[in-house]
Amino acid sequence: MAKGDGAKYLVGIFAILFLATLVIVAGIETKKSESTKPEIELTGKSKQCVACHEKKGIAVKQIEQWKDSKHAEYGIGCIECHAAKKGDFDAFTCPGSDILVGRYPTPKDCGVCHEKQVKEFANSKHAHQFWLLHNDDRAVYEFPMAVKHGCEQCHRIGTMWPDSSVGDCSACHARHSFKIAQARNPKTCGECHLGPDHPQIEIYEESKHGNIWAAEGKNWNMGYETANHEKIPIKAPVCTTCHMDGSPTQPMTHNVSARLAWESQAPWSYRTVWDEKDLGTWQKKRERMKEICFNCHAPDFINEYFLEMDLVNLQYNEIRRQFVYWNKKLYKEKLMYPWKTGEKLWTSPVLDGYDQLPERKKYYTWHHEGRRFRFGAEMMGADFTQWHGIWEIQQDFIEMLNWAADHGDAEAKVWQKSNNPTKMITFKLYDVPGNEWGINTELNKPNFVYKMFPDYWTRIKSNVEAAYNKGLLTKDQWDLWLKRYNKKEYYMGTKFPEHPKWKFYKARDQKDLKHMKKSVIDLNLPGQSFYKDMH
Amino acid sequence: MTDEKKNEVEEEGRRNFLANFLYVGGILAALGGFTAGLLRFIIPEKKPPKMQEILVAHFNEIEIGDAKPMEVAGQKVFVVHLKEGYRVLSAICTHLGCLVQWQKENQRFYCPCHKGKYRPDGTVISGPPPRPLESFRVEVKNGLVYVWMKQKYTGGLV
Amino acid sequence: MSVLKKEWWMERVPLDYEKAMGIVRDAFIKEPIPVHMKKWYYAMGATPLILFLLQVTTGLLLTFYFIPSPDMAYESVRHIQQDVPLGFWIRGLHRWGANLMIITVFLHMIRVFFTRAYRKPREINWILGTLLLGTTLTMGFTGYSLTYNQLSYWATTVGTNLVNQLPLIGHWLLRFMRGGEEVSANTLTRFFVLHELFVPSILFLLIVGHIFMIHLHGVAELEGHEGEGYYAFYPDHFVKGVYITLFLLVLMSTLAILIPPGIGIHADPTQTPMHIKPEWYFYSIYGLLKLVPLWLGVYLVLAFLIVLVFWPFIDDWFRAKWPKAPIGYVLGSATAVLALVFTIMELVAK
Repeated sequence: MAKGDGAKYLVGIFAILFLATLVIVAGIETKKSESTKPEIELTGKSKQCVACHEKKGIAVKQIEQWKDSKHAEYGIGCIECHAAKKGDFDAFTCPGSDILVGRYPTPKDCGVCHEKQVKEFANSKHAHQFWLLHNDDRAVYEFPMAVKHGCEQCHRIGTMWPDSSVGDCSACHARHSFKIAQARNPKTCGECHLGPDHPQIEIYEESKHGNIWAAEGKNWNMGYETANHEKIPIKAPVCTTCHMDGSPTQPMTHNVSARLAWESQAPWSYRTVWDEKDLGTWQKKRERMKEICFNCHAPDFINEYFLEMDLVNLQYNEIRRQFVYWNKKLYKEKLMYPWKTGEKLWTSPVLDGYDQLPERKKYYTWHHEGRRFRFGAEMMGADFTQWHGIWEIQQDFIEMLNWAADHGDAEAKVWQKSNNPTKMITFKLYDVPGNEWGINTELNKPNFVYKMFPDYWTRIKSNVEAAYNKGLLTKDQWDLWLKRYNKKEYYMGTKFPEHPKWKFYKARDQKDLKHMKKSVIDLNLPGQSFYKDMH
Repeated sequence: MTDEKKNEVEEEGRRNFLANFLYVGGILAALGGFTAGLLRFIIPEKKPPKMQEILVAHFNEIEIGDAKPMEVAGQKVFVVHLKEGYRVLSAICTHLGCLVQWQKENQRFYCPCHKGKYRPDGTVISGPPPRPLESFRVEVKNGLVYVWMKQKYTGGLV
Repeated sequence: MSVLKKEWWMERVPLDYEKAMGIVRDAFIKEPIPVHMKKWYYAMGATPLILFLLQVTTGLLLTFYFIPSPDMAYESVRHIQQDVPLGFWIRGLHRWGANLMIITVFLHMIRVFFTRAYRKPREINWILGTLLLGTTLTMGFTGYSLTYNQLSYWATTVGTNLVNQLPLIGHWLLRFMRGGEEVSANTLTRFFVLHELFVPSILFLLIVGHIFMIHLHGVAELEGHEGEGYYAFYPDHFVKGVYITLFLLVLMSTLAILIPPGIGIHADPTQTPMHIKPEWYFYSIYGLLKLVPLWLGVYLVLAFLIVLVFWPFIDDWFRAKWPKAPIGYVLGSATAVLALVFTIMELVAK
């Protein structure tokens, strides 16, 4: 290499290195994210509101929340919702200003922009204060001071305002950010839909849907829109997915009653007739719900599931019938006394007072365990159908019958003395061969009713058919039931040979029991109990 | 400095094409790249403006034949309610930039600087203004009047 | 005669081109550089010059976006860093360029000190060099204060307070620097003018003077290695400058990407942060001032500066008195080590 060439090579190499660096720099520039959050502007009266509130330090966090909202982006400020006219029930002049504001923005105010949602909501059960229907009776157990922070806090969702509007939008969309993501979170529904008498949030959390939500939901962006039939973007449903949100085939609605076919919170499960003018028959409502299920599930599974769920509702009615029968009987026999004010009966047929055991049991079997029994079946919370549901219902039944027997009712005494297992099913039964979880060859062999009564299925069939004829099941459901009935050995698994593992499990079971007996049951301790000394 | 020293300066070497090429090309490329970077830094980008809807009025808030002055997205405008519908017009006179006034009794916009006059829809009646008042896109939804404005970015110093 | 012809221009710009080219050839192209300059640590003189040019370029560009008002200064810096295309690069180059310039100025000074290049007849150039050091540090200080974050605001307060301690001119200097008694909007504007116009002009003039003196005297030879050979400034020594430029650009761009200068928190005049520190190049003085009472510290620093500025003469005096004793080396090493120790101590201190 000649003199000076080394220098030239070096320069060339350094130059290329520099160019490479420039390319990297340009690359980083391209990847920089652009901040595109639009500036929130305060104009006019709202500017005045914010300035004064910030100066006085009153509710300043709410201003921050508002700045985070979609309202702020669109220039909808304080005065747009809080404007009041002279004579409004909640109008007052903000201290230190000349602005007339309304303390309570009601659905009427929200409805100025959100007319559709307010209208849908006003037609739904959320806007209906059921508990007010039996206010007098309620007040016995739940006197005024107790209800304010109790019943009234949840049931404010149906507030009846002096300005003729009904409801409270901020019950779900917390003010002042009004974020969809927050409203959509199951915990929002769970603020009210929880507890011993309607544990929807607990049932949801037990269910597979809730399980997937718990595992992956924190990564889901919950602020999506469904007003334009968008696809459901999340992997498992939350409350709103089934009860409100839109899908490619269903419109989004704020009417939570639009997709519910049963009144399964009522003392008796009946097919809903809520607002048939706008929402159609219960069959239409059921179709709407199924449309949502179709987004994830196969038609067979959906139909089988709904059939079994419906039969649970109907079965509940038969159980209820027993409790009503016994209570009526005990009143007639003057073994129980309803509450009165003077000559007028105090209570409603529904509430009937709670101080006497059968009355209490009747109430609980409806309002608490009966609801859990039904809701658990509806929303896949098995524990609530079983241990918090039917198990407790049966306990209530036993206690009621024993009370009746102890107080002198002859029929109850017969029951009490009976040693036949059928004493636990004094009510009429529904059934359907098999379940929706698959074919289990050993599940249905041992059940005592199947074994004891050869005409079992005939009787069941007549009951289901009667329900169908009464219009409580659709034709498709009846056809599905018949399909199962006609192939009952298949669905019940009884047509299949005994499972090869059955004997093995049984033997294991015996081994366990033997061992349990030998190791702990047959243990007679030497140290005498001290009671024996004294008695 | 003495002549001796000058004579001892060494001479340039033999030519080599690759070396020259790398050398000249390298320096030119480096210079070019560097200058390009500097220019990109200094010359602001032309970004397509993002539009944003902003609420300006409720239906029936402004009577027909009336205009409401407002400041929206940093711009002074008038929201006019004509029989045919709503207009949002810039309050800046197209002559030399003064702010026009709304004269309800005379049903016109009046510029005090050089007596320019505009109709309620922004077209010029008389005076020096060369063009009608700038108009913004309006959308009326659910009884609310929105105007489409260029979005202002947080922290934008542009 | 057409404007494309050389004669057209020679009539209108009557320079003696032959003479001009001759001067250029002698002064620059054929300037003899002693062969010891081929070693890389002798490039520490050209490096700050190159960095100065880069700083002027990037600094000028930053001025297109920077707004020197207390409301907007911090936000404009953030804007450059985050929003402006390639802003992070230009700002990174400028910030790292400043750090590198100060480092290389120190290294150059150390090299000159230990090779005794300041000896007769080049003492005046040494003085110019110390002035250049002071001016460069001033550029660093004023530039850093412009970002208007917590650290810069309070560093300005503390720095100007220190200036107050100087005898006689202290308080007047404080009022001049701050534009009043307090650090205010005036301070920011003043520092802006100082950083953008006043101090760079002084720096430029000093650089011109420094280089001119080198040209007048020629590059100093190594003691004991006089006359061992020379090579031409252009292209052999000049190409080193090209390497250095390209290398610095790569290094500074990489640093701008990997260790970008932060923006910090917006200045809050009502709250002093827990740990204010000046920039790293002031750590040694800062550390010293923490150990001794303020008045003593300031006087010590002043004394040190006087010794530094007039070192060539002091060194001559030492050599005359004790010819065999390497007092200069010992003092120089001790100072360098102490400064390094103080700097590192401050760096790691919580």
